[in-house]
Amino acid sequence: MNRRTFLKALSAVPVLGALGAFLAPVLRYLKPNLEPGLGVPQGKIPPDLAEGDLPKGEPLAIATLEELREPWSSKFFVFTQKYPQYTPELAKAATVPGVAIKLPWKLAFPGYKSGKEPTDIVIFSRICPHLGCIFNYVPNWREVTAGYGGYMPPEERRHGLMACPCHLSIYDPADREQPGRVLSGPAPRPPRYFSYEIRDGVIVVTGAEPGGIA
Amino acid sequence: MWDRLREWFRERKEKLDLFDETQVDRQDNPLYLLGQIVYFSWIAVVVSGILLMIWYEPTTHGAYNSILRIQHEVPLGWLIRGVHKYGADMLILAITLRIYRMYFLGEYKRPNELSWMILFGSLVLAMISGLTGYLLIWNQRAFWAAKVVLTVAVYLDELPLIGQTRFGSAIAFAFLGGPAEGQGTLTRFYAIHFGISALLLVAAEIYFYFTRRRRFVLSPTALVILTLMLVVTSYVFPAEMGRRADPNRTPLPILSDWYFLALYQYVKYTPPLWAGLGPGLLIAYGMLVPFLDRSKGRRPSERPFFTVVGVMALVYFLVFTALIMFNIAVIGRDPHVVLLVTAATLSVGLGLEFRYRRRKKLEEAAAPSPAPRAAPARATAG
Repeated sequence: MNRRTFLKALSAVPVLGALGAFLAPVLRYLKPNLEPGLGVPQGKIPPDLAEGDLPKGEPLAIATLEELREPWSSKFFVFTQKYPQYTPELAKAATVPGVAIKLPWKLAFPGYKSGKEPTDIVIFSRICPHLGCIFNYVPNWREVTAGYGGYMPPEERRHGLMACPCHLSIYDPADREQPGRVLSGPAPRPPRYFSYEIRDGVIVVTGAEPGGIA
Repeated sequence: MWDRLREWFRERKEKLDLFDETQVDRQDNPLYLLGQIVYFSWIAVVVSGILLMIWYEPTTHGAYNSILRIQHEVPLGWLIRGVHKYGADMLILAITLRIYRMYFLGEYKRPNELSWMILFGSLVLAMISGLTGYLLIWNQRAFWAAKVVLTVAVYLDELPLIGQTRFGSAIAFAFLGGPAEGQGTLTRFYAIHFGISALLLVAAEIYFYFTRRRRFVLSPTALVILTLMLVVTSYVFPAEMGRRADPNRTPLPILSDWYFLALYQYVKYTPPLWAGLGPGLLIAYGMLVPFLDRSKGRRPSERPFFTVVGVMALVYFLVFTALIMFNIAVIGRDPHVVLLVTAATLSVGLGLEFRYRRRKKLEEAAAPSPAPRAAPARATAG
């Protein structure tokens, strides 16, 4: 390397640095102003996030126990979460569609008394954990084999299933070890659950499992 | 090293051919009209797009209604919208066919590497333009397509090492313009949709300014035929509206524009991280193929492996598109079949390649006089 090349290389450093210093704010320009607490991955709360920054929802009465008496009957609902944000209303609302399903057997469900007592009602968010479509509860498993891509459930799972129209992920709401287990398709994990209480024969949804889509 | 790179670049720059404008003498073959069709449909799309902007309203509440108005109330609105939609389809079809022409005829080889890379990059940009464009209608199909595509990016955070920077989420948020698909997304997509064409148009003008070439070398007959095609198609098949977007209901099955359908089928088969990596690898292969294929010949039979890969890509595109249109996918079985077929095809391609090379070597050994023949041929060509 001769002297000229060396000096050229040396003078390139501050030029590139200045360019970087100019480009970094340009990249920041692209980033939308996000309210804190969003995009929290996998239900983990980062240490810099205060408890008050997490999204909160008003408890919502979705159905009476009477309505969900038959096994495999279900009820769709939409839960509204509020995120603290610096808007005129001081909060931004996001809606999460959900489904409550009555099972013929009892199992431990993390949304009901933290899974300590078995229950026969499970409530899931209908946002597909794969790519965020809204999936359906399909009471008749034969519809899953027809419209949702030919998955044939084994004998013991031929009952109401949850299936996503986008990429044909299929979930079993009644799996005893892991309610919402992925039976088929590209979904990486079960859908998020809602926590609920039963107050005087009414199912009241109190909150949603935290975390984004993925 | 630096000088060699500059020399390489200079040589490619001189031979740059973006719209087949140097192939005038071969225009009796429709394959060499493709570049000109790309330019024609691009201009048609840009002009009709600017006319659409007069009536379009980029808000989540008003977008769908404003397009209904364009389609049914505004005088000749159906024509402008039809030309925009079908012009875009024609643009992507022409770019794709031109890519296949350059691929199978070995036109990406020296000195056309740069032309090929620009063409391939323009296909990616055209597809991004298409994706951002059809969200502007704010219908069901577009809403869920955009949601799915942007969520794919989030999974890039699962990559080891570079995933730690959470650049996948950053990409998704930059496009979404907020925590979820909404007004921010629509505004940003509007800007991107317009911006891609606006910037590229300026770049193309600079290119024509420096090369002093004519933009249009299309014959008037071809021009009239192409225009008539767009007008008649817009009249006979009015551009679709779809249903208004509903964030709480996903339609079954979800589809998208035809050039994304095969990718959608692929996304059903793979874990979500690979839904993003697969297309990335495909683009990387396309961009680098001039450097991967070191064979001398240009005819498809002279480089069997790359021909087989090209045919396989075409067949997969058609088969996957057909499968998703009929909503057929057996998740438990199909990925194994696809992997097996791919492995078998690639082995056949490699086998053919080795057989061809061995034969050529034998032929050369039998008749060792290629050098004196090659020299005068090059002299007459230059």
